Amino acid sequence: MPKAWMGKFLFVDLGSGSSWTQEVPDWMRSKLMGGKAFGAKLLTDLTPAGCDPFAPENPLMIMTGPLTGTSAPSMRGCVVTKSPLTGTFLDSYFGGYFSPEVKYAGYDGIIILGQAQEPVYLWIDDDRVEVRPAAHLWGQDALEANAAVKSELNDETVKILSIGPAGENRVLYSLISCEYNRQAGRGGAGAVMGSKHLKAIAVRGTNTVTIHDPEAFRAAVIQANADLEKSEDVQAMRDGGTAPAVDFANETGLLPSRNFQDGSFEKASNLSDIGQSKHLWLNSAACLGCPIRCSKMGAVRTGKYAGFITDIVEYESAALMGSNLGISDVRAVAHLVKLCDRFGMDSMSTGGVIGFAMEAGERGLLESPDGISLEFGNVQAAEYLIRSIAFVDNDLGKLLAQGVKRAAAALGGDASAFAQHVKGLESPAWGPRGAAGTGLAFMTADRGGCHQRGLPAPLEVTGGEWEGKPVQALAVEGKADMLIQMQNYLAGTDALVKCDFGGFGVQPETYAALLSAATGERHTADEFDRLGERIWNLTRNFNLREGLNPADDTLPKRFMQDPLPSGPNKGHRFSAQDMAFMLKDYYSLRGWDQAGRPTEETLKKVGVQDLPKFEKSS
Amino acid sequence: MTQTLQSAKGLRLIAHFDLCTGCEICQLVCSERLFGGFNPRLAALRIEHRRENLVHEPILCEQCHNPFCQNVCPVQAISLDEDTGARVIDPDTCIGCGLCASYCPRQVIVQDRESGKSVKCDLCNGDPLCVRACPTGALELIVQGGDHA
Ligand code: SF4
Ligand code: SF4
Ligand code: SF4
Repeated sequence: MPKAWMGKFLFVDLGSGSSWTQEVPDWMRSKLMGGKAFGAKLLTDLTPAGCDPFAPENPLMIMTGPLTGTSAPSMRGCVVTKSPLTGTFLDSYFGGYFSPEVKYAGYDGIIILGQAQEPVYLWIDDDRVEVRPAAHLWGQDALEANAAVKSELNDETVKILSIGPAGENRVLYSLISCEYNRQAGRGGAGAVMGSKHLKAIAVRGTNTVTIHDPEAFRAAVIQANADLEKSEDVQAMRDGGTAPAVDFANETGLLPSRNFQDGSFEKASNLSDIGQSKHLWLNSAACLGCPIRCSKMGAVRTGKYAGFITDIVEYESAALMGSNLGISDVRAVAHLVKLCDRFGMDSMSTGGVIGFAMEAGERGLLESPDGISLEFGNVQAAEYLIRSIAFVDNDLGKLLAQGVKRAAAALGGDASAFAQHVKGLESPAWGPRGAAGTGLAFMTADRGGCHQRGLPAPLEVTGGEWEGKPVQALAVEGKADMLIQMQNYLAGTDALVKCDFGGFGVQPETYAALLSAATGERHTADEFDRLGERIWNLTRNFNLREGLNPADDTLPKRFMQDPLPSGPNKGHRFSAQDMAFMLKDYYSLRGWDQAGRPTEETLKKVGVQDLPKFEKSS
Repeated sequence: MTQTLQSAKGLRLIAHFDLCTGCEICQLVCSERLFGGFNPRLAALRIEHRRENLVHEPILCEQCHNPFCQNVCPVQAISLDEDTGARVIDPDTCIGCGLCASYCPRQVIVQDRESGKSVKCDLCNGDPLCVRACPTGALELIVQGGDHA
């Protein structure tokens, strides 16, 4: 086996309580590398077509990459499963310390199948695997459960994934808490974990991750660090994480305001690094092996919500739980996000859901509960909704725990006109009405409304250059080609599994040099694009198999129907023609037919057809 | 104290916890040097993460004046390296009993999984890898005492 990988997957069947290991086949390593690609292939091969995301057959998988756990800067891990929110492929990435620990315990990935009868947690101590009772932890929030497991195992250094009440209650956008301040946030992996009655996974590993050519590897790490130091984007992340994006998005008209009714917010800078550094931040923190340190740790010290520790309120949460709800007090926003983290629900989707509920309230489609007025700017209402959703203990909570797509369908009327989602996943915090390629990115992202599968927005609105030519924000020509290149490269490096911020600096050649030195196999800078293309076809195929309707490659209605009322993109919305043009271009460049299905020829060309099936042994 | 030990002097590692981000890069490079592979648990220094990662504190070998590790070693495998001021373990003498590790007040001695022998910080013979690798300057090598000018 080449170095850097650990060579085996750990399988756990919670139904029978049994566990076993299986070798990672050579073809998987050479054709798929790790992370996202391993997950996409395993999900395709292990799930029966049409599998209910809450059925025991839906695997919950934690995947690492070949460089995870080494000193290669800024590597992460991912959770892969079939999403209960979208019914399609879900990959959700997390930093922190957990994914390296999986490798130190001796595994390239953990695949959890089945469903326990009673609440349990999993204790993986190198090759010793125990399914332990967790009835006493059920009901605890994600951080309480983390502390309780550590104290029960009598070791503060074990690394833990946990869910909160939202995951237990199968709120469709529940997250997995990856201590601390790191989350596998999007798409409902926490609800899948809850459906398995799995409260937490604790890991302790004492093996080493070894390198084929340590000297060449050290040189490549020095190069990678130099790449990072050279990048202005990385320096910005080091100074203020993603918080400065609030002001940027506001100035460029991309900031969601009051459920995306507008693209700017009068008090944006209260929510950006300007407000956060004053009211919250105390210190920088990093994930294992990361010199960027984008976390800005701090605390709410004074005021109504005083007395809790908070990480940076990163851009997506600051926007979706702040401006999107008309809330400008950053301490209140930090409080709401912390509630989501503790209860274990995605603060992005939750912000989208509350924005939807507030608008429905203002439009008279949703009745306000006693003493709570559903209107923008009402922190108390937001908090009430968060609690109702997490504990699903009232009708409003039950309605909203399903996400905006289902809630809008249940409400009827014109509710779907302001339900901000793509394929069921609530929209990220970029209103793309002034950036055509960004609209296409959301239409085509493999897990639904997602900003991490290629985000042309910053290039589009600043008139940046792509392949030597200035990018026009509203132009539709050339956007499909640009986006596909972005999507492919990101997917390829999600097999690594790199952190997106590390990817701002570290060059493809450097990733290839790190890989070559670590594994002893030859890797080249251009292979990430090819691997990404393979992955993009794998996930598309999976999604189609699971019933994805290509007509859902579309945008929330608001972006098509309501022109932006203010800002630099005032008056703009997406036209059906623009969308059809970009989508047609996109399908054809991808080698997909007019209905958005990969052709046989394409599947062959990108190497999906020839992949053997992964067979599990028990 | 059972015996009077020669006072250690020379090089020391110190930590500026306020600069530490908890990245554990120091531990990664240390473990690779000591064991030929990466795992922060196998480093001769620790990082304590506190208060949901608001605070990170590097815990280093102090190369003690009163070294419990050396005091408890039943076979005198630990001695002062006069060149650096580090307390070092002679692997040929070490019998792998683990007493030093269990009594080190800083808990920074690790066990080699294969040989069972104890491994501790030797200051990398005077040019510590951890100091070089730390991206924030949270670790520093200082010269102790007055006679090194
Ligand atoms: S190993 Fe522990 S006891 Fe020995 S010198 Fe270092 S800190 Fe002191
Ligand atoms: S000086 Fe060397 S041996 Fe000591 S902690 Fe640092 S890297 Fe490890
Ligand atoms: S490398 Fe520096 S910043 Fe990172 S954990 Fe070690 S001492 Fe702290």
